[in-house]
Amino acid sequence: MNIQNVNHLVQAYKVAPWRVQRQWIVNLLLAVLATAMVATLYLDVTSKAALAGREIQNLTALITESQQRSGDLQTQLASLTSASVMEQRALDLGFRPVKSEEVEYLIVPGYFAPEPGVLSSASIPQLSALSIPPEYNESLFDWMDEKIVSSSRGR
Amino acid sequence: MRQQYALRTQLVMAVMGFIAFAIIFQIVRLQNSYVTPQIKANELNGQTELHTIFPDRGEIYDRNGHLLAGNKTVFEIGVDLTSVKYPEIIASAVSLELGIDYSKILSDIHNPAEGVSYVVIADFVDLNKGERLKELKKKMKLDVKNGSVGDLTGLNFKAHPQRSYPEISLASNIIGFVNREGRGYFGIEEKYNDLLAGNPVQVLVPIDPNKAAEITHVPNGTTLILTINRDLQAAAEKILDDALETYGAKGGTIVIMDPQTGELLTIASTPRMDLNQFWEYGTIYNNASDFNLAISTPYEPGSVLKILTMAAALDSGIVTPGTTYLDTGSILVGGAWIHNWDGKAWGRQDMTGCLQHSLNVCMATLSTQMEATRFYSYMSNFGLGHLTGVDLSGEAAGRLKTPGDSDWYPVDLGTNAFGQGVAVTPLQIMTAVSSVANHGRSVMPRTLYAMVRDERQYNTTTQIVGSPISEATADTLSEMLANSLEFEGSAALVPGYRLAGKTGTAEIPVNGFYDSTKTNASFLGWGPVDDPKFMIYVWLKEPSSSIWGSETAAPVFAQIAEKTIVLLDIPPDNIRNKLVQK
Repeated sequence: MNIQNVNHLVQAYKVAPWRVQRQWIVNLLLAVLATAMVATLYLDVTSKAALAGREIQNLTALITESQQRSGDLQTQLASLTSASVMEQRALDLGFRPVKSEEVEYLIVPGYFAPEPGVLSSASIPQLSALSIPPEYNESLFDWMDEKIVSSSRGR
Repeated sequence: MRQQYALRTQLVMAVMGFIAFAIIFQIVRLQNSYVTPQIKANELNGQTELHTIFPDRGEIYDRNGHLLAGNKTVFEIGVDLTSVKYPEIIASAVSLELGIDYSKILSDIHNPAEGVSYVVIADFVDLNKGERLKELKKKMKLDVKNGSVGDLTGLNFKAHPQRSYPEISLASNIIGFVNREGRGYFGIEEKYNDLLAGNPVQVLVPIDPNKAAEITHVPNGTTLILTINRDLQAAAEKILDDALETYGAKGGTIVIMDPQTGELLTIASTPRMDLNQFWEYGTIYNNASDFNLAISTPYEPGSVLKILTMAAALDSGIVTPGTTYLDTGSILVGGAWIHNWDGKAWGRQDMTGCLQHSLNVCMATLSTQMEATRFYSYMSNFGLGHLTGVDLSGEAAGRLKTPGDSDWYPVDLGTNAFGQGVAVTPLQIMTAVSSVANHGRSVMPRTLYAMVRDERQYNTTTQIVGSPISEATADTLSEMLANSLEFEGSAALVPGYRLAGKTGTAEIPVNGFYDSTKTNASFLGWGPVDDPKFMIYVWLKEPSSSIWGSETAAPVFAQIAEKTIVLLDIPPDNIRNKLVQK
């Protein structure tokens, strides 16, 4: 078999109809596979988002419930430590109201009486919620849009 | 070989065709399902549900963080008529737990109004009772699975907040109350109703979990911190109640204010009510003005007003502390004779003696020397006849008649000078006299110390409302009043502390004539004189053991002043002066 025959055979192999068909099928399968992967990813992300959303709804309800419970306990505590109750407890323990002439005043260097009515320790604005990085809540289109806008600004 | 490929291809096509058919079948099935209209309706509504949200009404604290008004959870209990299975069992369980008539519950379930699918059986149900019913519902549901007949399906529980007052009646006349519709009445609750808010709000909540971030946030009401000192308030109320009993008075009030800032530390008033039982209001009070005597009830203050007359006379330069006059026991003003409280002549007196012996003739002499225009100008600048602007609901302005008014007569110039024929509220007279204690500057009284919203606290500030007299006049008059108390050996004095003040005994007009057996006894004082930390007003209505302010209101002032000194940690003058020197 000379070299010319070998080239002929290779050429015949390349143009065989069944080979062309197989190439088409493989390409099609690849496209289907890619679509399936994207669909799977989309489903996965969407279902996770839905689950997270449901969890947020449940947690919101729980927060409300906790706040109500906290309010109940706070009111109960206030009742248990009300002026009349505390006075009675003090009297039962053998205390009596002090008279002005019985009070001794001492000078304590560096002592400052506490300010009244300070319920909030916040001296700077508090964030109402944790800030979430944009990577976690922006879509692919949002990201592309942001990139386009930022690159056009960069120019 | 080719035939084999063809067979395989046909097989794959059959499988693919079956899958395609299944998909199309499912699409058609879903499009024609019985739930489709519901899903479409939700889509049309933007996938939202109408929810009623109950934000918490803002809490109210005293200046030291003691809760005065909070919220507690209660239940609305109702029946969902679309899901109820055993109405008799529901009626029986609810009737037993809540004590509601069985047949009424059953009737409500069986005969609802047209188009109604949810019936409220009871509202504002106590938390424990509601929890017990919820537990019963859970238990019965389990029992049904184990073969028991009947459960509480359809019985629904909606938790929501209700106002609660842990201190019960303490400071009730300051706080006011909230009715079941969430509206505030009287005091702080009415004045700051919009800030405290907490009214139910209907909002659309997205059902789609992907839109969870869009859940509407309804903020709770603003929390308020008052200037009130709970412990001092409790002490003042106790002392007031004891004083009413001791002196046989029909009512009264004790107000304590910081004269330098206008912060009201205490407003004790009678009668008081359990704020948790606000529906009893009608049986306790005859008029709305009785709710807080200190701000809503104008009355003739009597000799306490002499402080203002003397301040005006000193400030206008008519007299000095050493100026003397001859007291003959009577003076003719506007065609009418004015006499001293004892009808006697007190001879030569200086201005301190005028205050010490509370001489009506002296004051009428001063007001007539000033003449009406100047005298009433001072009284108006002191705030008589005007609202003080205190942040409490239901304040009355009192009445100061002036020349030109149809009911003003020339004799009023003389009688007004010692507190007759002029109507003021206790808080008005305190605001006016705060200019004397506070070096000539009047302060606006206030009960709000701070607001807390979104974790941030906003403090209120002192409001100076005017300077009716000069600093020199104010300081001179403070000294004169302190001296007059000391010279008199007043029952209002507290050992170790220099105080200034004035008694008041005002006869009460009955059918146009003053009844000498019925008086309003009062005392207004402040201290320590050189750096006032408190100003106290005591008013006792019609004391029966003695008609005189010096024998009733003055000792009450001493009691509450001593308590104030202890609770505010005010050292005696000698120790305080040592501290200042260091």
